[in-house]
Amino acid sequence: MKSVIIGQYIPGKGLFYKLDPRTKIIAVFLLMVSVFLFERIEQLLIALGVATLLLLVGKINIIRVIKGLKPIMILLIFTFIFQIMLNKQGQKVVEHDMYFTLFTLLFLVIAFILWRVMVKITKFRFTFFFLFVISIYLTLRYVDYGQTIIQPFNFAIYEDGITMSIFVVIRLLIIITLSTVLTLTTKPTDLTQGLEKLMHPLKKIGFDSESFALIISISLRYIPTIFDEANKIMMAQASRGADFSEGKLKDKLRQVISLLVPMFIIAFIRSEELANAMESRNFVPGEPRTRIHELTMSYRDTLATLFSFSVLILSIVLKVI
Amino acid sequence: MGIRFNQVSHGYTSFADGLYTAIKDISFEISDKNEFIALVGHTGSGKSTLAKHMNALIFPTSGTLEIFGKTITSKRDKKIKYNDIRKKVGLVFQFPEYQLFEETVEKDIMFGPMNFKISKEEAKALAKESLNLVGLDDSYLTRNPYNLSGGEKKRVSIAGILAMNPDILVLDEPTSGLDPAGRRVLMDLFKDIHDKTKKSVIIITHDMDLVYQYFNRVLVMNEGHLIFDGDPEKLFREKDLFKNHLDYPNTIKVLDYLNKSLGINLDIYKRTIEEALLEIKGAEKL
Repeated sequence: MKSVIIGQYIPGKGLFYKLDPRTKIIAVFLLMVSVFLFERIEQLLIALGVATLLLLVGKINIIRVIKGLKPIMILLIFTFIFQIMLNKQGQKVVEHDMYFTLFTLLFLVIAFILWRVMVKITKFRFTFFFLFVISIYLTLRYVDYGQTIIQPFNFAIYEDGITMSIFVVIRLLIIITLSTVLTLTTKPTDLTQGLEKLMHPLKKIGFDSESFALIISISLRYIPTIFDEANKIMMAQASRGADFSEGKLKDKLRQVISLLVPMFIIAFIRSEELANAMESRNFVPGEPRTRIHELTMSYRDTLATLFSFSVLILSIVLKVI
Repeated sequence: MGIRFNQVSHGYTSFADGLYTAIKDISFEISDKNEFIALVGHTGSGKSTLAKHMNALIFPTSGTLEIFGKTITSKRDKKIKYNDIRKKVGLVFQFPEYQLFEETVEKDIMFGPMNFKISKEEAKALAKESLNLVGLDDSYLTRNPYNLSGGEKKRVSIAGILAMNPDILVLDEPTSGLDPAGRRVLMDLFKDIHDKTKKSVIIITHDMDLVYQYFNRVLVMNEGHLIFDGDPEKLFREKDLFKNHLDYPNTIKVLDYLNKSLGINLDIYKRTIEEALLEIKGAEKL
């Protein structure tokens, strides 16, 4: 859990920390739109380079971001594989038959067991996952003796499939990097305040951006609190013999109720307390409020907005040409 | 052989300032019979962390812990049934809201025993018995635990642990949030359980009056260290309690004040108000 970097704020002192949250939100939005407008692979690669450059400019630890990408890797790998397998346009690059026989089955089982054992012993989980996938491919392709279980089927990779899959993966990478920069350098409270200010014009069509921002910031604020409470409840029930790491599944299901009920009750108690505390400090929903930290724009924000706008215009121009 | 701490330390990791060590290098022993121990210390001194170690809810980061012959280390041992430890050492948490969840008090008290594979009839009998033990009558069995008053909830949560029939009972601030009369009733109850069953009872408390009056062994925690283990009177005679963010019992404070302001020589170490009153009356006659 600790390695998940997306959506986490880490205090620091870079260029992006000094930017106004509104600017950051708008800039990230514009850059994402332009990423979707790029049509050639070179353009996308340059965009990826620019995104990494942004990390350098903001003095954000790149290794940290890459480590944070790890949980997304599986998603990326799956999109990559599916794009390659399912896209049937353009020239064929590879084509051959795949066999699935009794021997293949045996090999697959061995490969699977080896993979699970190695993952438990060593640290290189991803390397072994790749080795496992490659070994599946190789056995399917070359092991053809023994009784066939499924008729041989055709396996083909097309040129467009490869380009499209690279395209999708790079796009996702850029988008994830950009949004990570946003959440990494902006406090959740600043983020909601920025959103609130940006959505303020929507008040004319009946959207209450202040309440919306309040809802978001309260829920964000209460995630660790509720987590803490859940931990306490688990301990209290564990001392009554409901330990979740022991016992049968049937017992565990019964014991889940012993966690959920106090959890809800405590959440209700907490929310009532919070409501009372806010009201006793004269909070009235919908009334205008002042803030301790007012958002201010500086020359940096103008520069950042100009930069993102020019990227967007560039992408539109490239698309039209 | 009950619980033995061998140089136990426990640290919590936090994002802001790395590792925070809640208890440091603690060693002491609690026998499984005939102990009536108070655990005192200022807020944040590590009392609750210490209590959670006693039934293996959390593991020491360094050092070892022996609970009824089972050795607890920093890692979870698959050979040890931790549920068995929790049956032997019952821990009652400070806030009953964290454990009450059933529709009726009876069902809630039965939850503990039922987790240890006891038949429904037996559990029902145990529930009734332990509810009476904490001073609530049978009419409470069918009531909803969430409609009870704070003190009653507390009693029900204690009954929930008592019904498991533990050998050692650990209570985290059972008297907090109660009025003075309620406190005395609960303390009498624990003393009574201890006298009748000879079970060891460990009670976390802030109330020095209760400590002096009821206990014959007191453990004092200060900033994660165990700084005193022994008779309460010895504690009040030897240690400067104000330095350790603690207070003296009212009897000692009053008698000490009388001594100083009137220039007389009373014995200030009196456990109860009655004894203190006798001492003062005795001085009057002279």
